[in-house]
Amino acid sequence: MRRAVLPAFLLFSIIAPFAAARQPAPQILGLRLGMSYDQAHSRLNEIGQFKSEDEGQQVWTLTRDRRYQYVIIGFDRDRQVRYVTALVRPDGKPVSYAEVGDIAHAARSGGPGNFRYTWKVSDKGGRLEYLVIAKGKGQRYLDRYAVKRLGVESETEDRD
Amino acid sequence: MSNTIAGGAVRVLWLKLHPGIILALAVFFFTTLVFAATPSSSTLNPVNGSSATWAGSGIAGATTDETTCVDGTDCDVYTITLTGSPANYKGLVLAISISHQNKLNDYDLYVHKGDLTGPVIASSTAGIPETGEAVAIDPTVSGTGLYTVHVVDSNVLPGDPYSGVATITTPPADSPAHGTAPTYANYQSPPGLGDSSGEPSIGANFNSGRIMTQAVFDTLQVTFNTNTSPATATWLLKDGPNTDIITLDPILFTDSLTGRTVVAQLFGTTSLSSFTDNDGETYTVSQGGGIASGVDHETVGGGPFRLCTADQLVATPLPCAQLAVRGPLTQYPHAVYYASQDIGDAEMALSQDGGLTYEEAHPMYTLVDCGGLHGHIKVSSSGIVYVPNKSCGSTQGLIVSMDNGLTFAVEPVTGSTPNSSDPSVGIGSKGRVYFGYVAGDGHPHITVSDDQGRSWHNDLDVGVPFSIRNTVFPEVVAGDNDRASFFFLGTPSAGDGTGADTGIPFNGVWHGYIATTYNGGRTWFTVDATPNDAVQLGVICTQGTTCPNGTRNLLDFNDITVDKVGRVFTAYTDGCITAACIAKGNDPAASHTRLDNDGATKATIIRQSTGLGLFKSQDGTRLQP
Repeated sequence: MRRAVLPAFLLFSIIAPFAAARQPAPQILGLRLGMSYDQAHSRLNEIGQFKSEDEGQQVWTLTRDRRYQYVIIGFDRDRQVRYVTALVRPDGKPVSYAEVGDIAHAARSGGPGNFRYTWKVSDKGGRLEYLVIAKGKGQRYLDRYAVKRLGVESETEDRD
Repeated sequence: MSNTIAGGAVRVLWLKLHPGIILALAVFFFTTLVFAATPSSSTLNPVNGSSATWAGSGIAGATTDETTCVDGTDCDVYTITLTGSPANYKGLVLAISISHQNKLNDYDLYVHKGDLTGPVIASSTAGIPETGEAVAIDPTVSGTGLYTVHVVDSNVLPGDPYSGVATITTPPADSPAHGTAPTYANYQSPPGLGDSSGEPSIGANFNSGRIMTQAVFDTLQVTFNTNTSPATATWLLKDGPNTDIITLDPILFTDSLTGRTVVAQLFGTTSLSSFTDNDGETYTVSQGGGIASGVDHETVGGGPFRLCTADQLVATPLPCAQLAVRGPLTQYPHAVYYASQDIGDAEMALSQDGGLTYEEAHPMYTLVDCGGLHGHIKVSSSGIVYVPNKSCGSTQGLIVSMDNGLTFAVEPVTGSTPNSSDPSVGIGSKGRVYFGYVAGDGHPHITVSDDQGRSWHNDLDVGVPFSIRNTVFPEVVAGDNDRASFFFLGTPSAGDGTGADTGIPFNGVWHGYIATTYNGGRTWFTVDATPNDAVQLGVICTQGTTCPNGTRNLLDFNDITVDKVGRVFTAYTDGCITAACIAKGNDPAASHTRLDNDGATKATIIRQSTGLGLFKSQDGTRLQP
């Protein structure tokens, strides 16, 4: 008994800190924050079709994804990906908040009908700071989630 | 045996319940037979003179608009079926009118195509004094079949039942606005105040009679001295404690009825904000905006909470309880809303304590539905929240919340086309929505909805009298349901007057125009409110960072409001203020490009001088300059 418990404990001790610290990635569906405009478009053309553009923000309809119906993408002044938002398919495979990241490490806000989990992540030794925000009406499954770089302004931002 | 037992049980149950059942049946018959229109329906044919009459229920009541009435209690229904095909009605209209005796009673008339869930295609909602309402419907446009006439007790005392008439007849003569057009005077802020005033907001405090305006850093209190005529203006700087620190998107909102003014400056995902109940003498610093609201182009608005009437509480207790949860939490009686664009969507947060704190923001729409940037919040007297949007697919759109900002519907403004200026809405006292917008071709349009944006009618180009071909910054305010004013900057010059001016510089003289309706949007007076003094020469660029220097001086919007007596005020940024610039604007032979413009940002207010205001109850006191 002690022989069985000890290796398991050691394994847990090694894995647990990594599991607990699991951070949401700075990308959605292969669309990574900081990716160039051309790279992003190459990926977007693989997974969907362009739908519309407003103030430099583009909406793409996903053609084959079972979970997500749309991706919205915005670029910064260097034409690198500033944010990506994915909207779930209403009749698709549901996506839980936990699939985005460890919700124990997220700031939770809102309440019934309006849940929100927010992760503030510092990656690459602090060179990339970004927010990951998952929102939904339901307690378990999200309606949309977004990754957004901090400290950059949008392509069309026009501070008054 | 078992049948006997069962029969006995039924009899026992009947004996136990029958007082309640009898009461329910009595109520049923009372409401459906006594309180219904008599007869309840008719059929009309495509023949001039085909007609029907009915008698109203005679019930008394008072309610704000169609969304707050309960049939059989303070409104009733009459249906009309038109036979034949629409083509059969060429040269004919369906004229519907109601009349009553006591001119201090106020009935309103709404006509739906189909049943009560169908679009409101015509309405007549004049206020007292009145003894009737009337509409004319063109069946070649709206079709044949079922029409439902909904008669609402806006404010009706007992003993004055209405009678209704529906007739197939020839159409009334189409006439332009008649009467006297309003006139206006301009008041420029004194030197040193309002010198950097792009995208101004304006509000009127009904309690104090003062005007509050805000642009960039300056919050200004303006008092008009009416002991002299023309009135003189006193401008005072009344900055909030935290709203002159940083300015990204400045916003001011005054709740005219409560007198509270909220000032906000965008700051990250919220705003630096404070509010004042004494026109800027003292402020209370607030939370700023909704928790985790968006990051750009915020707006603040407010008005009554949407709460059930006593009749609605009886009729639909559960939805009413859900609404009540989002009602006021403090003595402050009205709702305050904060909305902003976020990453991929736009969100709104409710404050239930007068703007001191806000809830977690709720999504209004995503970029799949509409563009991220939106116009300013307006709230109807029955608590319906509206946010206009310049681009929702192939049309402009109106975002509507019927539950104090919990959920939202996106209604397309049918007949409109997207443009780069944010549209604006004004809400009449009984809920009529006036949607002012710049059409895709640059012309100033305004269209009307009587069913919370589900359908639209009377879409008109109000720039026709001045041949306006380029327009920016549409701003609308309404007073009575039938009265509204629409302010915009326009120029008759063709070409890309709002672009980045990359080719031959755009040559145009911009003025401020105000169009006003006194008949629910059927006709409009359009007036040049800045005659002989251009607001801008050359392009007014709305293309953000691609704009050349000096062409984004006016930034993104102007504003309009109405005071307690119905007098209209607008706030605008004047980009052409020197004698040389003004002279060029008045010389048709001169050059009118951005190179001739001052690029100034001077706070200026237009004040209505004469004419009818937006409140009929004040018509007896003529406006003085």
